[in-house]
Amino acid sequence: MRELDFHEDHGSNNNNSGHTNKTTLSSLAQFASADSHLQSQSLGSAAAGDHHQIFGSALPGIDPTLFVHHSEYGDVFLNNHDFSSLDLPHSFHNNLNSPNSAAVGGFDSVQDLIRAADCFDSNQFHLAHAILERLNQKLPSPAAAGGGGAFFFKEALQSLLTVSTRPPAYLSSWSEIVETIRAYRAFSGISPIPMFAHFTANQALLDALDGPSSPFIHVVDFDIGLGCQYSSFMRELAERGSVCKFGAPILRVTAVVTEEYAIETKLIRESLTQFAHELKLRFQIEFVLLRTFEALSFKSIRFVDGEKTAVLLSPAIFRRLSLTGGPTAFVSDLRRVGPSVVVFVDWEGWGDSSGTASFRRNFVNSLEFYSIMFESLEGGGAAAIGGGDWARKIEMLLMRPRILAAVEGCGRGAAPPWKEVFAGAGMWPIGWSQFADFQAETLLGKVQARGFYVAKRQAELVLCWHERPLIATSAWRC
Amino acid sequence: MYSALHSLPLDGSSIVGDFQGSLDGTNLPGDACLVLTTDPKPRLRWTAELHERFIDAVTQLGGPDKATPKTIMRTMGVKGLTLYHLKSHLQKYRLGRQSCKESTESSKDAASVAESQDTGSSASTSSRIAAQDLNDGYQVTEALRVQMEVQRRLHEQLEVQRRLQLRIEAQGKYLQSILEKACKALNDQAVATAGLEAAREELSELAIKVSNECQGMAPIDTIRMPSLSELAAALESKSASSNVPARIGDCSTESCLTSIGSPVSPMGMSPQAAAAMKKRSRSVFGNGDSLPLDGTTMRHEVEWMMNNMA
Repeated sequence: MRELDFHEDHGSNNNNSGHTNKTTLSSLAQFASADSHLQSQSLGSAAAGDHHQIFGSALPGIDPTLFVHHSEYGDVFLNNHDFSSLDLPHSFHNNLNSPNSAAVGGFDSVQDLIRAADCFDSNQFHLAHAILERLNQKLPSPAAAGGGGAFFFKEALQSLLTVSTRPPAYLSSWSEIVETIRAYRAFSGISPIPMFAHFTANQALLDALDGPSSPFIHVVDFDIGLGCQYSSFMRELAERGSVCKFGAPILRVTAVVTEEYAIETKLIRESLTQFAHELKLRFQIEFVLLRTFEALSFKSIRFVDGEKTAVLLSPAIFRRLSLTGGPTAFVSDLRRVGPSVVVFVDWEGWGDSSGTASFRRNFVNSLEFYSIMFESLEGGGAAAIGGGDWARKIEMLLMRPRILAAVEGCGRGAAPPWKEVFAGAGMWPIGWSQFADFQAETLLGKVQARGFYVAKRQAELVLCWHERPLIATSAWRC
Repeated sequence: MYSALHSLPLDGSSIVGDFQGSLDGTNLPGDACLVLTTDPKPRLRWTAELHERFIDAVTQLGGPDKATPKTIMRTMGVKGLTLYHLKSHLQKYRLGRQSCKESTESSKDAASVAESQDTGSSASTSSRIAAQDLNDGYQVTEALRVQMEVQRRLHEQLEVQRRLQLRIEAQGKYLQSILEKACKALNDQAVATAGLEAAREELSELAIKVSNECQGMAPIDTIRMPSLSELAAALESKSASSNVPARIGDCSTESCLTSIGSPVSPMGMSPQAAAAMKKRSRSVFGNGDSLPLDGTTMRHEVEWMMNNMA
């Protein structure tokens, strides 16, 4: 059978596959004699048939059956080992020891997902496909998942495999948009995550852009979402304008968006313009296509002399850029623009991670991150308000697209060492004002959800859920 | 000039003595003279005015640290004032000022306390205040300092709370407005779709009617289905969808169509027959596959329509 070769990037994994296989084998030697209670949970016989065919071609010089046999158990044990070192949430550990079949089922699904992810590293796409097929029975719907959005991860992996049937870019329908806005509103109510991200970013902008030197403010936003952040930003500007002799500053926003966002773009423009008008603030918003930006970099954005510029970044743009020139070029271009402040809102738990080329590694990171995210949604907020239904909707409408994008980016070495890239370009982090600290803490006091707290990690303000970081905001200056 | 007056010794305990109301402690004559108590050990009473003169002299001399009792004595020029009086008074004054300097508020408070005491009670002396400063000054200033710190933090936190509340409200208001806009757009789309549906229904009804009733007229396939632009124009120009078929008529059976006044009673048909025909046409629609356009393309066209209409 011919191997599927769909992703050009996976071609690079071919070079790594040999390496990862070697490490697997060497670590197998440690665990060869170890017993795992999951031994019985071997792959079905249906998949076993595939093994021999694929392994015959993939690994010259190594007995395939030996590898297969050991890889299951060794891999499983390796996974256990990995889990403890990754310090995954309690549910995973509990599932390890619990005799509860449902829980084990959930854990098992995660195991399968990771095995499937492994196959991506070693280009064994048929095996991956088989594992995912089998997983369909265990995870028929999002509700049946063992938690952590396993269903969406399965879906994401499957969409990577079946690229031929991937739907072309399409515009959202109005009913989808309405549902998304409703879910976002519920999300803001249930969890402090969106407000934390917005308010800390806004405060960083305000602290840096403060001052009478110029009343013109230009914000370049690479991840505008619904534009909600600007409502509170504008409110704050209007407030300051009433006391400042200059009057309110004049705000200009340039948002870089994808083509699929056409309808939302119109909606956001209308809503923000109306909001600014009610506040008697001079406001202008422009949209730049991401494709144009990829081609022309910062020349695609209009800059005006005398403006104070701020740039808002998130992992999404970095992931997208790793396709083209890489983050280094982006950051050096950014530096040439000379913004007053660069705010990086880390929605994806990148933290200090340095980019790895292993699909599996990135996949496991994402899996871990979103399981915490889901836990915080279901455990913290929704339970308090009794809105478990909303948690489902939020997961479906807001988290799922992110998961899909994250998994898609796994193959491209998703998380570059952005802190080093920033530092390498000569940027340094700005600390946080006391107002920002107070604000973050007060925000947590207001929200009904339990289990959240704010921490400082180097120059970042981090929102954590039970010691696990969820959102980290940092401000940088050139 | 000397009168028996209440005297409050320095340790704060009061000695009750005869009080002659003719002279109280505050109105010393122009040329300064001293007020001495009448107990066995005569003590100098530091009245407010005397103290004021003392302060004047001290400031004249460059502050309590620079001034010495001797110079003060000479500057003040008050008869009967000895070095001993001035030494002790100056020491207390210096200590009082030291503790006052640490927190200006406490000195203000002390001053206001002093003022109120001075103006209010005739029995109070400034030395008593100085004494209190000495004993309690340190604790007072410390407590006041802590209180000030707490107040400052409270004030800041209130400020943060207020600003945060504003921001949360702003976001909530924005989300509400964007949701309303999106819902309205959805409703408009639904209305347009419904209008489109109704128009389509009418057209196929008429097509059926034409094929059934208007025999000898041109066959069905010469009946041109009006294009979407015409439908859009029709929908745009009116709000109700009832007389759409009347507007769309550019086919060979135009006379047949336009002569139809309303969908309820088509030309030459009894109401019952019309109703029956309508029922039939609806059942045709019920299958769903008689629609020339399917769901997804319709949506695109509706969006296109909306963009044109907007």
